[in-house]
Amino acid sequence: MKKSWETIRNYFPIFGFVIVVVFFSIATKGAILSGTSLQSLLNQAIATALVSIGSVFVFGCGCFDMSMGGTLCMTAVLGGYAGIASGSIFVMALACLATALVLSLLKGLFAAYVEVPLFIVTIVLGFVLSALVLVIMGTETTILLNDAVKPIPSFNFTQMSAINIVALAGFFIVCVILFNFTALGRKVKILGGNPVTARQTGLNSVNIKLISFIISGVGVALAALVALLRIRSVGSTYGADMGTDVMIALVLGGMPLTGGPRTRISAGIIGALTITVLNSGLSMLGLDLAIIQIFRAVIYLAVVYVASMTYRTNLLPR
Amino acid sequence: MNEDKLIIETRQLCKNFGPTIALNHVDLKIYRGQITGLIGENGSGKSTITSILAGMQPASSGEMFFKGKPHKPSTMIEGAALGIGMIVQEQGYVSGISIAQNIFLGEEGRFRRHGIISRSAMVKAAQEALNNIGCNDIDASWYIEQIDLQDRKLVELARVMASNPEVLVVDETTTALSQRGRSIIYDIMRRMRDEDKAVIFISHDLDELMEVCDRMVVLRDGNLITDLDKPEFEPNLIKRHMVGRDMGEKYYREDYDGTVSDEVVLDVDNVTSGSGLLINFSMQVHKGEILGIGGLSHCGMHELGKVVFGEEKILTGSVTHVPSGQKIRDARHAIKLGMGYVSKDRDHEALVLSASIRDNISSAGLDKINDGPFILPNKEKAYVNQQVQTLSIKCASINQNVQYLSGGNKQKVVFGKWIGRDCDILILDCPTRGVDVGVKAAMYALIDDMKRQGKTIIMISEELAELIGMADRLLILKDGSLAGEFQRSRQLTEHEIIECMI
Repeated sequence: MKKSWETIRNYFPIFGFVIVVVFFSIATKGAILSGTSLQSLLNQAIATALVSIGSVFVFGCGCFDMSMGGTLCMTAVLGGYAGIASGSIFVMALACLATALVLSLLKGLFAAYVEVPLFIVTIVLGFVLSALVLVIMGTETTILLNDAVKPIPSFNFTQMSAINIVALAGFFIVCVILFNFTALGRKVKILGGNPVTARQTGLNSVNIKLISFIISGVGVALAALVALLRIRSVGSTYGADMGTDVMIALVLGGMPLTGGPRTRISAGIIGALTITVLNSGLSMLGLDLAIIQIFRAVIYLAVVYVASMTYRTNLLPR
Repeated sequence: MNEDKLIIETRQLCKNFGPTIALNHVDLKIYRGQITGLIGENGSGKSTITSILAGMQPASSGEMFFKGKPHKPSTMIEGAALGIGMIVQEQGYVSGISIAQNIFLGEEGRFRRHGIISRSAMVKAAQEALNNIGCNDIDASWYIEQIDLQDRKLVELARVMASNPEVLVVDETTTALSQRGRSIIYDIMRRMRDEDKAVIFISHDLDELMEVCDRMVVLRDGNLITDLDKPEFEPNLIKRHMVGRDMGEKYYREDYDGTVSDEVVLDVDNVTSGSGLLINFSMQVHKGEILGIGGLSHCGMHELGKVVFGEEKILTGSVTHVPSGQKIRDARHAIKLGMGYVSKDRDHEALVLSASIRDNISSAGLDKINDGPFILPNKEKAYVNQQVQTLSIKCASINQNVQYLSGGNKQKVVFGKWIGRDCDILILDCPTRGVDVGVKAAMYALIDDMKRQGKTIIMISEELAELIGMADRLLILKDGSLAGEFQRSRQLTEHEIIECMI
C-alpha cells in the first residue's frame, strides 16, 4: 500500500497539471487552448521553466533563494544594454551569462560561507537588485533592442519557437544528466537531506553549493536571453513575479522547498507549465491582478500543506 | 498469573506497513506488579506494539483492553492521560526550550496565574520531578541542549513519571545511558512494580532484561513466540526463541591473542578538544588493531572519536595519519586517507532518514561507482546490493527510505556506507547501540573479519562486555584523560575496568 501510495504521489504533479489545464479550458470555454494564447503560454512558460530547472539544484541542496526575480531582471537589463551598445547577439548573450554567473556566485559564496540564513540574504539581495536596476536605467522605464548601434537580427515565430525549444530542451537534458547520472545529484540530495551527514560522509558542501548556484545562473542567463530575443525590450519590472513563481513551480512540480532526497529536475519543468497555465488562466478569466495574487497564495499554501502532511505521517517509528 | 492483576490485554492485534507485517495476531497480556520484558530481533514488532498501546499509531486490526475496558487511544497525549507513559527509543524532547518546559510540555496551563504562565512555579515543579527520579544534579531551568543525550533521556523519564502513569513503557532507552542512568531507570521500574503498577521494558541487552524483569515475552517477525517467567530465564533458550534457530556459543571474538603489528597508523598527540571534554590526550593506534575506548558519560570518549575523524575542532595538539604523514584537517580529508566514522547519533548524523537505502549507501562511495564523470545506475545498484547482501539488510528494495527500517537495519546501512568504501581505519562510536543479538553477532564477526584483513578499528562503547570481548587493547577515559589501559586477556573482568572508570 505504501509503495502504491508513493507511486501515486510521484504522479501528483502531472495530475495537477492536467487538472489545471482542464479546469481553465472549461472556464475560459477553450480560449486558453487557442493558437495565440497557446503561443503566449509557451513563451511565458519557457522563462519560468529555465529559471526553475536551474533552481532545482539550489533548493535541492537546502538553499532557499528568494532573489530569482531580481537576478533575472538585472541579467536581462545588463544583457540588453550590452546588446544595444554592441549590436551583437553574441555580446548580449555573453553579458547575460556573465551577469547571471556573477550574481549566482555571490549568492553561492554567501550560502557556503556566511552564517546568515540564505533566505534573508536573498530577500535583501532581491530588493537591492531591483533598486540597482532603477539606478542603472535612470529615467528610462524600458530599453529597446531596436535602439542598438547595429540592427540586432529579429526572429519570426517559427525561428523563435526553435530557439526556445533548443534552449529549454538543451538545458533540461544537461540538468537531467548532471542530476541523475553524475555524483552532483546524489550530493545535492544528501546535503539538502542532512548537512551533518553530508559533512561526515566527506561531501564538500562549499563546492556543491557553488556548482548548484552556477547551474542556476546558467538557467537565468538563458531565460533572460530568450526573453530579450523575443520581446526585444526589457522593462525595469521584468521578472518581478519570478521569485514566487519559481517557488510555486517547484512545489507544484512535487519537490519540497527544503530540498533533500525528493528533489527532482522534472519538478522545474512540470511546475513551470502548471504555474504558467494557472497565471494565464486566472488573468484570462478577467480577474483583477490583486485577486490573482491571492489565488496564487492560497494554491501555494495548499500545495505546501499537502506535501508536508504526507511526510509528517510517514515519520512514525516501527 | 493472577488474572485480577491483568492491566493490559491485546487480542489478535495486527499491524501492517504496506506489504510488511509488523504484528501478526498478537495476544499479549501485561500484569500489575511485574516488570515485563519484550525481546526480539530488530523488526520483530516490539516497538510497534508498545507504540500502538501508547497511542502513537493505530492498529490495523484486533482489540486492546486497558483495565478491562476497550482501549483505543488516538494520540500519545490520550494514551498518557489514560495512564500509559512511554519513553521512546529515539529523540523524545523538543529542542530550543528549557528542561522545565520539556517536562511540562502541553501542560503549561497548570502554572497559569492570572493568565500568565509562572516560569518559576514550572521550574520548581520540574525540579521536583527530576529530584523524584534521583536526578538532583540536573537544573530544570537550563536549556535542554545544555545537557548531554543521556541526561536528556532522564528528563524524558522525569516527564513521564511526573504524570504518574500506571503503565511505564521503556523502549530501548537504556542503550543511550551509561551505568548511572541505567541504575536510575532500574530503580524507577522496581518502584513502579512495588507500587503494584506495570512496566514494559524493551531492550536488546539480554543480561539486563534477565536481571531486571520478572517475566519475558519473546517476539519474532511480528509473532508472539513465547512467554517466560523468571525461573524459566535461560540465555541460550531465549536467543533460540528470538532467532528461531540455535545461535551457538560464538558471539565475541574467540581468540585471546592481543598482539598487533608495530606499525602505527594513527598518532594522536597531546590533543585538547574544542568542547573541552578531551584534555592533553595522546594515543597511538596500530595497524590491524581493535582499539576499545570506554568510560563513563562525559569522559570524552565520544569526542575522541570525532577528534580522530577531524569532526571536532582541536585547540592544541594534532592527529596524524602516520602512513601518509599528514595531519588530519577535517572529515573529508580523513575519508580521503581511508578512514570512516560511524556516529553514535545515527538518525541525526549518520543517515539521511528521508533518503533511500541506495542514496545513503552510495553517498560515501560516489568515487567508487563512477565511470569518468558519470555514475551509471547499474554499477551503483550492484554496489549497493552488495552491501545489502553482505550485511543482510532486511528491506523490500534498495529504494526504500531508511526511516522505515528498524534500528538494527538502519545501523547496517551506516556500516554499509563504510564497508563499501573498504576503509583502512574505521571509527565506531557505539556501533551496536539499539541492535539485537543477531545483528550484533553479525557485526562482531564483521569487525573481527576486518581486523584479519589488516584493518584498524577504533571501537568506542558504553558496553563493557563488548569492549572486553572484542578489543586487543582497551583505553579507559576519565575526565578527558587516560585513566587506564588494558591488554586483551581471558582474565580481564568488568570489575577491574569499572574500578578504573570511577
